[in-house]
Amino acid sequence: MNNACENMREHLDAYLSRELPEETSREVQRHLESCALCAAELETRARVRAQLRAAVRATPVPIHLESKVKRSVRGRLARPRTGLWAVAAAALVIICVALVHQLRVASNPEEAILRKTSGRLAAVLNVGLRDHLHCAVFRKYSKQPEAAREMAAELGPSFADLVPLVQAKLPGNFRIIQGHRCDAGGRQYTHLIIAGGAGGGKIVSVILTRRQPGESLMGGIHQAGVDRFQVVGFESHDYLAYVISDLDAQQNLQLAADLAPALREYLAAQAG
Amino acid sequence: MFSKLPQTGEFEKVALPHLNELYRTAARLLGDGTKAEDVVQETYLQAWKSFARFEPGTNCRAWLFKILINTIHHYRRGWFNLRRVKESEEILEQTAACAAPAPERIAQEEILRALGRLPPDYRAAVLLADVEEFSYKEIAALLDVPIGTVMSRLSRGRKLLREQLSGLARSYGIGEGGA
Repeated sequence: MNNACENMREHLDAYLSRELPEETSREVQRHLESCALCAAELETRARVRAQLRAAVRATPVPIHLESKVKRSVRGRLARPRTGLWAVAAAALVIICVALVHQLRVASNPEEAILRKTSGRLAAVLNVGLRDHLHCAVFRKYSKQPEAAREMAAELGPSFADLVPLVQAKLPGNFRIIQGHRCDAGGRQYTHLIIAGGAGGGKIVSVILTRRQPGESLMGGIHQAGVDRFQVVGFESHDYLAYVISDLDAQQNLQLAADLAPALREYLAAQAG
Repeated sequence: MFSKLPQTGEFEKVALPHLNELYRTAARLLGDGTKAEDVVQETYLQAWKSFARFEPGTNCRAWLFKILINTIHHYRRGWFNLRRVKESEEILEQTAACAAPAPERIAQEEILRALGRLPPDYRAAVLLADVEEFSYKEIAALLDVPIGTVMSRLSRGRKLLREQLSGLARSYGIGEGGA
């Protein structure tokens, strides 16, 4: 490799990117026609670049990201941005979307939401979501908090002390309003319904159900966003546990992270 | 003239097609898929906020990348709250449960590791030029640096990457230029 080659190699990348001034580009072109070494070097650089491009472009993009972005952008619609008309228009859009949504899922709302999830983990997360939808979302229940005694009776002797355990771990603005045993999709659940959050209008479920053969969350805490719900699932040796709400993902995850250690310990003692 | 009320439909139509490129660039610059998700989400929120000022027909892709790069700067300085995940707990989004890499992916993993080892400024320049195929002039505007700086970052970044990949390239039958 002579000086001319060294000089040319400085330009090879810019040549590949078509960023050289016309005259320099022609000079490089002429050199490449007469120098096999530099032509091979150009080929190498082009191939490495193509491989880099292919590798980066193969990065899998989470399939929920688009809907997450849409949700957060649409969530900003209600903010005053360009005056009262914008607020009014945004409110109208939200009402229309809510109506359309209700109409669309009216035939079988629970199934319509459950169908939006897929995958092995999601199937296990759906076990909890099914009960949340069935009991806390689409079923009419009294929004008046039950007395602790009533809840203890409905939960049965095994889970009577679940209410104080969970209440102690909740932030001050959340309150357990229902505690009961229930059935959904042919399966039994122990279910606490919690109301609160900013404005008091959020509903959170803490749901426990016995693990069935083959069901596993692989030991971790998993979170999925499905429709407007955030589902966190974790497990003990014998139970699956869920924290499901219409809070945002971070709040729901925080709530679940606060509850998980105590619940796991509680469930381990249940099994023993 | 009345200001036009931005429409989410219109915004989504022009902005969402660039989601994948923004995500993979963020993922490579931050080295973390979860952070990249947060940054991309924030990028779209910022873009939506300023969409009323976006002029149809101008380069939407470059506009979004500019916001992405700014958001990443802000992120690195901790200017907005991001989801924090306790390291002791494994948190997976439902789609994160992906299969083990197929054999043909392994080489790509090596290339990405080499890219990840580049200093961040060089990595950004190389990604924007050689993967996203922005012009040097566009990259200068995106990174807010003179074009000479872009050229020197590219030159050093590409050289470092080539050096790291030379072993890999040989294993793929890509020579060092010898006849």
